[in-house]
Amino acid sequence: MWTALFLWVLAATGCAVQTQALREHPPADLPHKAELESTPFFAQTAYQCGPAALATGLAAAGFTADPAVLGEQVFLPARTGTLQVEMIAGARRQGAIATRMPVQLEALLREVQAGRPVVVLQNLGLSWAPLWHYAVLVGYDIDEGEVILRSGKTRRQVMAMRTFEHTWKRSGHWGFVVSPPGQWPSQADEKAVIEASVGFERSATPQQAVAVFRSALARWPESLSLQMGLGNSLYAAGDKRGAADAFRFAARLHGSAPAWINLASVLIELGDSSDALAAAKEAVAASDDDWRGKAAEVLRAAEEK
Amino acid sequence: MKRSTRWIASLLAACLTFTGFAQGAMAAGLVSTEQVAATEGVKSATAQREHLNATLSRADVAAALAERGVSVDQARARVAALTDDEVATVANTLDTAPAGASDVLGVIVTIFIVLLITDILGFTKVFPFTRSIR
Repeated sequence: MWTALFLWVLAATGCAVQTQALREHPPADLPHKAELESTPFFAQTAYQCGPAALATGLAAAGFTADPAVLGEQVFLPARTGTLQVEMIAGARRQGAIATRMPVQLEALLREVQAGRPVVVLQNLGLSWAPLWHYAVLVGYDIDEGEVILRSGKTRRQVMAMRTFEHTWKRSGHWGFVVSPPGQWPSQADEKAVIEASVGFERSATPQQAVAVFRSALARWPESLSLQMGLGNSLYAAGDKRGAADAFRFAARLHGSAPAWINLASVLIELGDSSDALAAAKEAVAASDDDWRGKAAEVLRAAEEK
Repeated sequence: MKRSTRWIASLLAACLTFTGFAQGAMAAGLVSTEQVAATEGVKSATAQREHLNATLSRADVAAALAERGVSVDQARARVAALTDDEVATVANTLDTAPAGASDVLGVIVTIFIVLLITDILGFTKVFPFTRSIR
């Protein structure tokens, strides 16, 4: 019976493939070990690993962090825990940027190597008996096959890398990096940076949002969402000329209906009637079902001027 | 009891709806960045449809958070910090999404043995006293 259980457990849990690959073929440009010893530690109280891990990430990025205050902002009493979405939003409410990490273990190690701890969600239990837990990855040692975490009540938890991979995989490889606005984690992909910027725009002042979109555009100059974000936050900051330039750039580069719509709206406000009319016509021409109503609306407004 | 909670919740939802969420609202009818990001393939088609109901679900989600032990002011501030897409996620998974908490006491005896074995094998890390084989 025990043998059967043992085999079943093996089959159910599978192999830690990423750890195995990293240990057998360590990337040539990745140092084999790193540890961010100066990362602060906040010991968790009762179910408060979310606020504690968030405080660690924030403090490491140079923000003042108090787990008790964060607890009020992210802890959900009825669930005796913290939702992933609220961890991200909680970081934003402190004026920080929270960027999702890719699902590769190697990306996490590279981020740590670059000096940024990674807040991770682990399922310490099994998929059918979950034990959700937030911790912060602060170090690794490929040769020893270990990772180092700030976790729960343990300041320096050493965990086998493959165990970490199993527990992290069971959370859907979920993790994020906290950084000051304008600085992006080296491993973040375009989609994650767009999501982080768009979320940041909601909590920040228009001027802060402008700076964040500019910093993201420096890496992905062609992203439509980032260009639109720049235009919208310039507009919100009162710089209508700047906003028009950003929308025009996006509209021409992508032939995007929302960019033409916003360009036409701003030009109407600026009193550039003929340019506004031309932009509104482009908006109608570029529109699919999602934007047709809005484009027709802006065309009517432009014609009335 | 149940009935009065429900009543309070709906009252709360109504209040929150009327106070509204001014934050993030664009003047002059500009298309918001969130809407563009949603159509640019960053979000699924379902998320886009949910986007339309976001204003309504904001009040609902705030009320739901308040029902789950968050103070009314905090609930409102917390929802205001979420993007429309995140609001939709919370609205749909409030009681099912992982909520990081970690407490060994929650583990019932019947699965104690299994988790002990998986801990030792290094697949899980439930118990502080286990040392997994490398």
